[in-house]
Amino acid sequence: MGELIQQLVNGLSLGAVYALIALGYTMVYGVLRFINFAHGDVFMFGAFMGVCLYQWLKPIFPEQCGFLLGIVVLLGAMVLAALLGILLERLAYKPLRARPRITVLITAIGVSLFLEYSCQLIFGAAPKGFPSLIESRSGAFWGVRVSNIQLMVVVVTACLLLALRGVVLRTRMGLAMRAVSLNPTAATLMGVNLDRVISFTFGLGSALAAAGGIFYASLYQAIDPFMGVLPGMKAFVAAVLGGIGVLPGAALGGILLGLIETLVVGYSKNLGISPSYRDAVAFVILILILLFKPTGLLGKSQKEKV
Amino acid sequence: MSECLLELTGVTMRFGGLVAVQEVDFRVSEGELVGLIGPNGAGKTTLFNLISGVYTPTAGSVLFGGRNLEGQKTSALAGLGIARTFQNIRLFRSLTVLENVCVACNLHQRGGVLDALWRGRRFRKEEESYRQKALELLEMFGLGAEADLPCESLSYGDQRRLEIVRAVATEPRLLLLDEPAAGMNATEKLELMRLIRFMQERFKLAVLLVEHDMKVVMGICQRVAVLEYGRKIAEGTPDQIQANPQVIAAYLGEEIERDA
Amino acid sequence: MSSRLLLLIGLVLGGVLSFVFTGHPEASWTVAQIDDYFLNVLILVGINVILAVSLNMVNGYTGQFSLGHAGFMAVGAYASSALSIWVKGSSIEWLHVAQTSGPVSFLGTLLFGGVLAGVAGILVGTPSLRLKGDYLAIVTLGFGEIIRVVIQNAEFLGGARGLTGIPTHTTLGWTIGFSLVSIYVVRSLVKSNYGLGFMAVRDDEIAAEAMGVNATRYKVTAFVLGAFFAGIAGGLYAHFIGYISPEGFNFLKSVDVVVMVILGGMGSTFGVTFSAVLLTVLNEVLRETEQFRMIVFSLMLIVLMIWRPQGLIGGAFRRFSGGKRTL
Repeated sequence: MGELIQQLVNGLSLGAVYALIALGYTMVYGVLRFINFAHGDVFMFGAFMGVCLYQWLKPIFPEQCGFLLGIVVLLGAMVLAALLGILLERLAYKPLRARPRITVLITAIGVSLFLEYSCQLIFGAAPKGFPSLIESRSGAFWGVRVSNIQLMVVVVTACLLLALRGVVLRTRMGLAMRAVSLNPTAATLMGVNLDRVISFTFGLGSALAAAGGIFYASLYQAIDPFMGVLPGMKAFVAAVLGGIGVLPGAALGGILLGLIETLVVGYSKNLGISPSYRDAVAFVILILILLFKPTGLLGKSQKEKV
Repeated sequence: MSECLLELTGVTMRFGGLVAVQEVDFRVSEGELVGLIGPNGAGKTTLFNLISGVYTPTAGSVLFGGRNLEGQKTSALAGLGIARTFQNIRLFRSLTVLENVCVACNLHQRGGVLDALWRGRRFRKEEESYRQKALELLEMFGLGAEADLPCESLSYGDQRRLEIVRAVATEPRLLLLDEPAAGMNATEKLELMRLIRFMQERFKLAVLLVEHDMKVVMGICQRVAVLEYGRKIAEGTPDQIQANPQVIAAYLGEEIERDA
Repeated sequence: MSSRLLLLIGLVLGGVLSFVFTGHPEASWTVAQIDDYFLNVLILVGINVILAVSLNMVNGYTGQFSLGHAGFMAVGAYASSALSIWVKGSSIEWLHVAQTSGPVSFLGTLLFGGVLAGVAGILVGTPSLRLKGDYLAIVTLGFGEIIRVVIQNAEFLGGARGLTGIPTHTTLGWTIGFSLVSIYVVRSLVKSNYGLGFMAVRDDEIAAEAMGVNATRYKVTAFVLGAFFAGIAGGLYAHFIGYISPEGFNFLKSVDVVVMVILGGMGSTFGVTFSAVLLTVLNEVLRETEQFRMIVFSLMLIVLMIWRPQGLIGGAFRRFSGGKRTL
């Protein structure tokens, strides 16, 4: 039993990261009906910016303010990623708004490759260590090991999710976002500035992805230019699992995926498969969901009008 | 009395809580020209989609030539003899006018993948025969000269005509026309009416027409059915329908008694 | 002149050319010896042509966006290699005899890989092809990844370390031969009345169905055909390099092929062939600057989508260059 809880705890922090990335996917899909393939690389960008900011700011901050430094790094990376997201949208996606979805999908692949290889060019292909922003400590509660990083990831993610909820439900911009996702034409006729809403959505999603990047890097202690590829795809699966276009769905999907993946790996011996099948878990879930409930757990059905 | 071709019995269509079509009984006989009218949202297109296999009825049955259509794939219906056009023109945009019609000829062809690869004499003869057939149809409908042009270069009216030609090429017994006069001017509408009549006689087709334009419907249809809020409220000859108070009420509202 | 005849001539010519130019040890009348490097590039070109033409069948002509082509290539590569290696090391007498009859057994091996890839195509295609657009792309990507992960975990296939010791049977003749065959098959199929169905499904699936075209059947046919030839290409590749690993068949490989198809203008077999040649050559030429290659590549992709989505080359070969429709 203790083993199970351990796995659940590990899975929860991984799930939190997936949730953060998945939210970006789902927001962009909701507003633009388009899967931003390059989103996983924004996650990577966030992690890298985290390292850069840390190295740049560390000398300035006194020893005791490690925690404060961590927060500044996190926020800084989020802001930088938001700016990147907005920039990408303006340059690469905006000209294609009227085009068929496939065209934009291909562009997104191009953007993704561009980010990955530029990063490789600048930082080199070898993985780098991620500095511990705060001292890692773990405690045992009722036989379950929990590190303070894991705890922090879950707690901060929860805070971010609540903040997001507040923005979406209670601000004018949030209302605009929801309007655009339901009917963009009507929204613009009601005076909603489409460009601003889209930029905001991209910025917000990217910021969350960057946070995910920093948390992921804190948990696994390493970053490399291609670190966003797999988590990006898995987070997309999470978004689909929860119901693409539905925000709570993305969060739910992310957490579920993190839990399932960790459990499958944790109990792989019992299941008779090798733990290196971990990456296949997400894809199997994807296929099952798309076959049996393509609108996801929380999604609504949409029939095409003839 | 000609044979009953299409028979709808107690057909109901629900989309979640919305009942689009409610317990409709309806028949079309061989060679008949029938019109389906009703205010917007009455369920005409839904009924159409039920007959052409896009939707499966929540209740009731749709029989074609005595055979229940339930569970049939959409692509099988053309083989059974039901062809249709669409409210928003759905031509194959990257193909030429001729090619659009040729696709419809696919239905009755005997060759398949292997024939296309082997390209023997039989294959070439068949290909030529389809081309001929398609060309003949196009000429009959006045589009022969444009056969090798991209279909998108045709005028709107011509594109609608092409859609009809394409549907006819499947050699149907029942042709469903979904608002064929939409977006046409008066001259084009007259031309369309002539065309439909011609087609019906020439190919011995039954035609079911959904249309908003009363002149067109009353002008060519032998029988007209009226839907309102998913129910059939009247059926009869054009004259009968035009005089029917319920129909008038559905379209224009009721007369309000005024105090002197 | 009928295409069938053309194909035959092409195959014979290809065979003769490769025989003559690669200096077969037994031929005393060898005219010229091509530089090995050049020869290798030509073989790679041929393999990429097969990949591009087969993917074009699915993505271009039928409009189904598949991102898992590398997976089928992997199936073909591993299946044919496993067979070759097994036969080589086997102690069964008649197998050795079969092996020494070179061309026939190699053909058999390649076909084995292709057929298995085709079967994989049916397995992947049947559930996936009912999805559209973005979703289909992601699912095929997912399947491609699953195939890769499964191979990675299969110890008898070499696992993550890869499979070595594959006999190098691939020659220029084989590659040219299969390139021509794949071009012929795809083109013949599409340029027929039956073939119009593929494009009808691409342009408007609902209208196609209304005209009696069984969209699912067409999609699966295109998909399986594409998978088959990808498998052949995989087999040719494996028996060329002599070594394969799961990493070589990952998502990026699928993207490589997709780029070839897009550049060549989806829905133009010649355009796609040309772009496969162009990109393979460019790849080799820019091999030094590996770092920059991908960056330039990706930028090119982005710019291309904004300014000329119908591809750089396809427009010239297609009847109407209003290529926006094909995407």
